[in-house]
Amino acid sequence: MGEFKVHRVRFFDYMPTAIRAMAFNAHTERLALGRMDGSVEIFNFADRYFQEKVIPGKDSRSIEALCWVGGRLFSAGLNGEITEYDLENLRPKYSLEAYGGPIWTITSNSQGAHLAIGCEDGTVKLFEVLEESIQFERNLDRQKGRIISLSWHPSGTQIAAGMMDMIRVFDVPTGRAVQRLLVDRGFGGSKSRETVVWSVVFLSDYTIISGDSAGKVQVWDGHTGTLVKTHLVTKWDVLALSVSKDESSVVVGTSEGTVIQFQFIAPTLQQQQDKEWVRTRTFKNHTHDVRALAEIETAIVSGGMDTQLVVRPLLEKFDERSHASALRKIQFPHRNLVFCAKKAGLLLFQFPGQLELWRLGESDGHGKPGDSLPLKRKPEKLLHLKRKGEDHICCSALSSCGGWLAYSTMSSVRLYRLQTDNNDISISKVPKLPKILRSAHQLCFSSDSSKLFAASSQSSVLVIALSQSECKYVHTLKPKSGSRQPIHLMTNSVDGKWLATANSDCEIHVYNVQKLKLHCIVPVYGSCPSAMGIHPTTNNLTMVHADQQIFEYSIVEKQYTDWSRKLQKQGLHNLWLDRDTPVTHVTFNPKNPEQILLHDMHMFCIIDQSLPLPDQKTQFYNQMTLRSLSEQERPSHLHAFKICKTFQDLLSVSLLDDQSLVMVERPLLAITCQLPAPVRQKKFAT
Amino acid sequence: MAKKLLRTSPSSSNKFNSANMTDDFQLHLDSSDDDAPEEVTFEESKASALRSMKNALETSKREKDLLKEKRRKRQEMFQEQKKRRLLPAHILEEIDTAPSKKQKLPRDQAESNHEEAYCSWEEGREGSKEGYEKETKKGFKGNIRRLKGNYSVMRVADQSSTNSQQQTAMDFIQARLYGPGSQRTTNNEVLSLQNKRGPNKSAAMQFVNKKWGTEKKAKAEKLKKQWIQKRKVPSS
Repeated sequence: MGEFKVHRVRFFDYMPTAIRAMAFNAHTERLALGRMDGSVEIFNFADRYFQEKVIPGKDSRSIEALCWVGGRLFSAGLNGEITEYDLENLRPKYSLEAYGGPIWTITSNSQGAHLAIGCEDGTVKLFEVLEESIQFERNLDRQKGRIISLSWHPSGTQIAAGMMDMIRVFDVPTGRAVQRLLVDRGFGGSKSRETVVWSVVFLSDYTIISGDSAGKVQVWDGHTGTLVKTHLVTKWDVLALSVSKDESSVVVGTSEGTVIQFQFIAPTLQQQQDKEWVRTRTFKNHTHDVRALAEIETAIVSGGMDTQLVVRPLLEKFDERSHASALRKIQFPHRNLVFCAKKAGLLLFQFPGQLELWRLGESDGHGKPGDSLPLKRKPEKLLHLKRKGEDHICCSALSSCGGWLAYSTMSSVRLYRLQTDNNDISISKVPKLPKILRSAHQLCFSSDSSKLFAASSQSSVLVIALSQSECKYVHTLKPKSGSRQPIHLMTNSVDGKWLATANSDCEIHVYNVQKLKLHCIVPVYGSCPSAMGIHPTTNNLTMVHADQQIFEYSIVEKQYTDWSRKLQKQGLHNLWLDRDTPVTHVTFNPKNPEQILLHDMHMFCIIDQSLPLPDQKTQFYNQMTLRSLSEQERPSHLHAFKICKTFQDLLSVSLLDDQSLVMVERPLLAITCQLPAPVRQKKFAT
Repeated sequence: MAKKLLRTSPSSSNKFNSANMTDDFQLHLDSSDDDAPEEVTFEESKASALRSMKNALETSKREKDLLKEKRRKRQEMFQEQKKRRLLPAHILEEIDTAPSKKQKLPRDQAESNHEEAYCSWEEGREGSKEGYEKETKKGFKGNIRRLKGNYSVMRVADQSSTNSQQQTAMDFIQARLYGPGSQRTTNNEVLSLQNKRGPNKSAAMQFVNKKWGTEKKAKAEKLKKQWIQKRKVPSS
């Protein structure tokens, strides 16, 4: 093992966007998340909550609500448009103007045949869901106020609409408003303000549950139009409501950041009492407003202005404590936003609106492990490249020599040539890219910077040859399986011979770049790969999956390596498997071919293949213990997984050619500082 | 010694019999005076009557003329105002010939047109020239040009993508969640409270975290230096 000089980088001002809406698809077990900047993320809940797909946002797009119809995803926003997304090509399929002004909510009926949207002008518009598109059917009776929330009755014959100061129930076949439920205003100062019914839920026994801006959760009888019960849960707004599939539990999200559960149970145990909605649990997992909520079978998923996605499993549904029953907070994206030019010592930071290129600082000093060395030269920002157009940046890449820079949005790919002469940097755009290069899901430069690999639709890869200042299209590498899913990981070997790609179907293909054809397909494993890397000398492909399994596949021999088989036979340590964030980067040490360097959000690990593997009884995090042992005792306690937890909230770890590590951290506290204002809560003794 | 009396009443337009007049007079005079009746000759009274008639005619004519003059002046003024509101003829021609391109008039053409119009208006107006200049300058925002009636010409691309309805909706939500009456506080306060109530009690965020509120701290430093300077100067 040796000492590494570490560049501790904290100047990446990564700022995630607030979560605005979410929708869970129970059939495919995918959660769609809509953020304030218009981007949509798809999480695979069956695969350790892995962030499978990201559809980047757009300046003019706004998302107020999301809904699934079968396998299709629809969103509606304040720009008045309904958008359907193409999840295979990661782009919007089409946008339909609804001509009702800003749209506040969209919901589908349980049969999946109709979509209803609530508009600013007071109309509820019905759309028919057709094979490839949607078509406007009719308007229900127009109302005087704006329609903020909608909920279909499970039979599809009635819709409850939450408006200002009231809830209206519509009869769908005739379009008439049948009931009007008047919502009280708050007491005190807020009596002069109208109450906004932020969310409403229509149950199959004609009970309507509503959450409004006065902080009340009210239970109504939909037949008679009367109020059954009022629960005052908070002083601020109740922003989101979600009902479970079997309608026995309703969760409510508030501006305070609390999520409150109501269950339909008998309040006392005696004498067969009638069931009613009783407030049971309160979860305080957020610091800011909770704006999106979903109750799935075994967990409550919440997201809001503090940009974190929190999955709170309901413990009564689990028999034993495992990683599945632990609280999960997803704070960072499960893909790389930092790219490192190893030879040149440059870092590229990808933001949705721009790219920043930084040169790392230098230090001459020497010291003991754990010392901070003085800086001879500070890190400096070389380039701030703003994107052109409205679409946000989808992916980017930096060549290892630091001479080429590329980024892609949904509508275009741009390639730049960089020249650094001492302290000056000049950038020139490469004009006239091949027409076939329209947009890419992933971009990757070969290690000698002679080729650019762009992941395009249907898991194919475009190979573009780069010369002095121009580029030429060479070939398209297509997978044999004909999968239509997009590629989310791409890596190539140092000798320039091999390229490995992984797509959302968990397929990993290895291509021979010199012969430009498919070399082999790695046996499919049930979980999606979250990080891949090709060893510089042995050309072994190391894959880490979302469920924390590690495999090593020899590309030359087309089979798993002996070490990998040994690891699978022994099994990974429980503490490794219980980690809750996926590994996002795999890299290698050229000076020590036995080492594999990986990191996730909370730890940095070096796997030494020459050391024995730990079994279940060994102490896993043993670095501190080893330091206290003497030189003779150490070798017997060593095992392959060396984990360092000094650096927290890691976004990226890479190893430069001069044997220094670059750790890019983004402290969560720095993100919290820039969030919007939370509510003022009066706490005792403050 | 007959006193000559001039009759100025309007009823003198009638041709009175001089005898009758004298009789009347006499009656009036007799009551106040015992003098002999006066003698007014026929010619004199005729002349006076004619004169008064002429005067009356003249005054009425003058009044009519005056009214006419006023009306004419008013009409002229209206004509002038009307001419002012219309664009000069050549610009109207241009617009007539290119009605389909109304939405996408290029910026320089619009500007040059406006300049020409502006000059011709300048020539025509003397009185409130400055007032009018200000008006046109204020009204000319971007590429919006006012035409006759309620139409205005502007470029679609110059409009921002969030139209007014969307902006109202966003303002509504912003006002409900963060506007007045929403009882919000700052991140600083929440984190500082966490520091003070946590298991390891420490100071507020701006003192614990060096990078917090750097502008405020810099300003405070500057003020402190200024105050020290002030204290030094009077004492030294």
